Amino acid sequence: MPGEKPTEDPGHALAGDHGSADQDRRPTRWPPGFADGRANRRALLVLTALRGITPRQMLEVADREGSASACLAAVKAGRAGSAADREHARELDPAAIEAAVATCGARFASHGSEAYPPQLENLKDPPAGLFVRGLPLPRRDRTVGVVGARNCSDLGRELALTIGRDLAASGMCTVSGAARGIDAAAHEGSLEAGGDTVAVLGCGIDVGYPRGSRALIARIAEVGTLVSEYPPGVPPEPFRFPARNRIVAALGTALVVVEGAQGSGSMISAEHALDLGRDVFAVPGAITNPLAYVPHALIREGATLIRGVDDLMRDLKLDGGPGLPRRRLDLTLAEQATLDLVTEPVLPENVGKGLGLSVPEVLPLLVSLEMKGLVRNVGGRFEPRLEARAG
Amino acid sequence: MVMGVTVVGVRGHPVVVEAHIGRGLPSLTLTGLPGAPVQDARDRIRPAVESSGLEWPLRRIVVNLSPGNVRKDGPGLDLPIAMSVLAASAQVPGDRLARFAFAGELSLKGSTVSTPGVLSMAIAAAKAGLEGVVVPAANAGEAALVDGLRVVGAAGLADAVRFLRGAWDPPVAVPGQPQQARHDAVDFAEVRGQAQARRALEIAASGGHNVLMVGSPGAGKTMLARRLATILPGLSREEAVEVTQLHSVAGLLEGGGLVGSRPFRSPHHSISLPAMLGGGSGYVRPGEVSLAHHGVLFMDELTEFRRDAIEALRQPLEDGRVVVTRMVGAVEFPARFTLVAAANPCPCGYEGDPKRQCRCLPHRIQLYRQKLSGPLLDRIDIRLIVPRLSKKELLGESAGEPSAAIRERVEEARARQRDRYASLGYPCNAQLPGPVARREARMSQGAHEVLAQAVDALALTGRGFDRALKVARTIADLTSAVEVSADHVAEALSYRMSLSEGSLARAG
Repeated sequence: MPGEKPTEDPGHALAGDHGSADQDRRPTRWPPGFADGRANRRALLVLTALRGITPRQMLEVADREGSASACLAAVKAGRAGSAADREHARELDPAAIEAAVATCGARFASHGSEAYPPQLENLKDPPAGLFVRGLPLPRRDRTVGVVGARNCSDLGRELALTIGRDLAASGMCTVSGAARGIDAAAHEGSLEAGGDTVAVLGCGIDVGYPRGSRALIARIAEVGTLVSEYPPGVPPEPFRFPARNRIVAALGTALVVVEGAQGSGSMISAEHALDLGRDVFAVPGAITNPLAYVPHALIREGATLIRGVDDLMRDLKLDGGPGLPRRRLDLTLAEQATLDLVTEPVLPENVGKGLGLSVPEVLPLLVSLEMKGLVRNVGGRFEPRLEARAG
Repeated sequence: MVMGVTVVGVRGHPVVVEAHIGRGLPSLTLTGLPGAPVQDARDRIRPAVESSGLEWPLRRIVVNLSPGNVRKDGPGLDLPIAMSVLAASAQVPGDRLARFAFAGELSLKGSTVSTPGVLSMAIAAAKAGLEGVVVPAANAGEAALVDGLRVVGAAGLADAVRFLRGAWDPPVAVPGQPQQARHDAVDFAEVRGQAQARRALEIAASGGHNVLMVGSPGAGKTMLARRLATILPGLSREEAVEVTQLHSVAGLLEGGGLVGSRPFRSPHHSISLPAMLGGGSGYVRPGEVSLAHHGVLFMDELTEFRRDAIEALRQPLEDGRVVVTRMVGAVEFPARFTLVAAANPCPCGYEGDPKRQCRCLPHRIQLYRQKLSGPLLDRIDIRLIVPRLSKKELLGESAGEPSAAIRERVEEARARQRDRYASLGYPCNAQLPGPVARREARMSQGAHEVLAQAVDALALTGRGFDRALKVARTIADLTSAVEVSADHVAEALSYRMSLSEGSLARAG
């Protein structure tokens, strides 16, 4: 085959070389003074609302044009972005965007301004500006990212909640994406303990998405920090979430991945974190557990395995901080024996077999343990809760 | 004047049939609120009479059915209408005519055709103080179930005439043999594993509790539900007659004997409202809820049923009867059944399964659960998660206990409840209203404490409290305990399930 088309292979390799050479030459910084001055800031507001230009492409345009105003002029003139962007850029009124930003109580931290979080500069494609609602963003060394599956297990949710809570108790801020599942649990844990939490949205700064997290997002807007690359009114779209993940990864000093199925967004976040040189922690699971796919893949790539929140706190050197009080448990001998047998999801009759008890005899023991918060029933099988291991 | 019987709902109503033969062009007019099926008889009866070697008067005939305020439906009036015409034209003598009721459909050849509802008609005839009934030969065994009633099984119109003329002495009709249903062929001994589900169904049978089974496809929900009917206590004669009447009216009776085992009905989820509750144009047939009377109504894929069909179950679950309202009045059918509903935990079916990942969006699961919840769920005391068993979990599981052994315990537990509630008039724990259950449960101090604890620890609601209490009472009855113990309550709490949020088992 190579003989038939001699030009293709070398050509391909050449193109590849070009590509990597291009990549090396690709700008990763906004030009100095890119967004300085009122005119540039207003132009940038319009640019953030465009759909057809990724931050990476915008960087190239900026590299060529120099300032935000010049970039916007290039888009309007059709020298950058798509035809739709050109139309859109002509229609958008920067004053209206400014008004909308003020209405929802947000601020715009453009690149180069004091409010712009410096840790984002480490990204290959840092956002040109960030919309922020609520408290100012905490420092990077005070912030830890927690991400994971949306369709998480009860155990995963509980773990994320505990991580959020313990981080908050140690004075750390939790950053995540406000998605349901692990993200939401991490935020909630942090809020529960009265800690700081940052939610990075994949839609406009005033848009409550996902719908299930609307109340959570509203709460974070009050007592935490909301962050988005997108101005008010921008709808959630599939391509915005992977972009959002890079900000989650960049804002913190470390990233914890609790659960993630193959092909999930947690993998993208973790890869960004690894690229940025952030510490990545992953909670393992059974090798048959589809939700353990991403953590296992990350551990193989060099992430640190943690067996629970204690490992994380030790590794982050936070275990000197205020810990959580451990509950003393008063269990009968039969309850303790039952608990010892519940090490993985198990049917009540199989617990009974291990104890030599019938189903009607073992069910009261299991329900009693359930009421004490030590086991839970998932789909007809009983499994241990985190407390059971600590107790 | 001839006595016929029409069936309204499941009850027979005597109908006086009179004929007048007057001058005019040959015709037959029916008066007295005949329904469409009775109107049909006009064209059927003349050929039937002529084929039987009798004479049809070629004059203007008016047949009146009284009382005129009851709508007459069903084909059972063919025979009495024919007899009234024959009597009016002096072809049959009157002495026996007045002492017998007549019921049955006729063919054009004059032979009788098996007719639905004959048992109800025979009961009505006995109540009206008549000596006997003349019914189609195919239904004689059914009518003979009524004590002290002389049953004449006529093969055709000619037989009935010969009997009235004293020219034929019909053989004594024997009651049909009790009919065993096909579902009796299954047995709990065939179920491997699922010990908690087996236990839950034993409790359900003992206390008359309704059951919801939630589990992934292939977990064995249908298999378990079919076997519930085999461990329910045997039918008493009174109950058997009620069931037989209903099945007779619906035209489902085969062989003419009493129904011998508890019915098991599993309507498909596409069922219409009239088919579920009873109805139909003209002749009102009992619906599935009534055909399941004293038995099991199994609703597989509960969420797939039409919302109105699910909502409509409230009245029968509450009152044990169903009222079908028609233009000409309301028809009532008994409908006291044990409801067994089955559903997947989520639209894809794998929520909570350790081996397969659920792919449902949370709001889809929430919408799905909303279909399950609501007033129907309040009437279901036992909610059970049926897990899909792995090979390893099934391996080494011996075959279970046979149904007959379980039924023995169930009968004993039912007997205790009957004794305890004899003065109150409730047959079993499940039928008790909440306040009565709380008063009559006889809870030990420990049992009270566990329930109080569950309110906090398991987020038990007020209704959930009452349900757990009733189920605990049944568990105590199964072990012949006078007092409900803490362990009874704790076990009862394992048969609860919240469908509002999160994983299925989390709260009550």
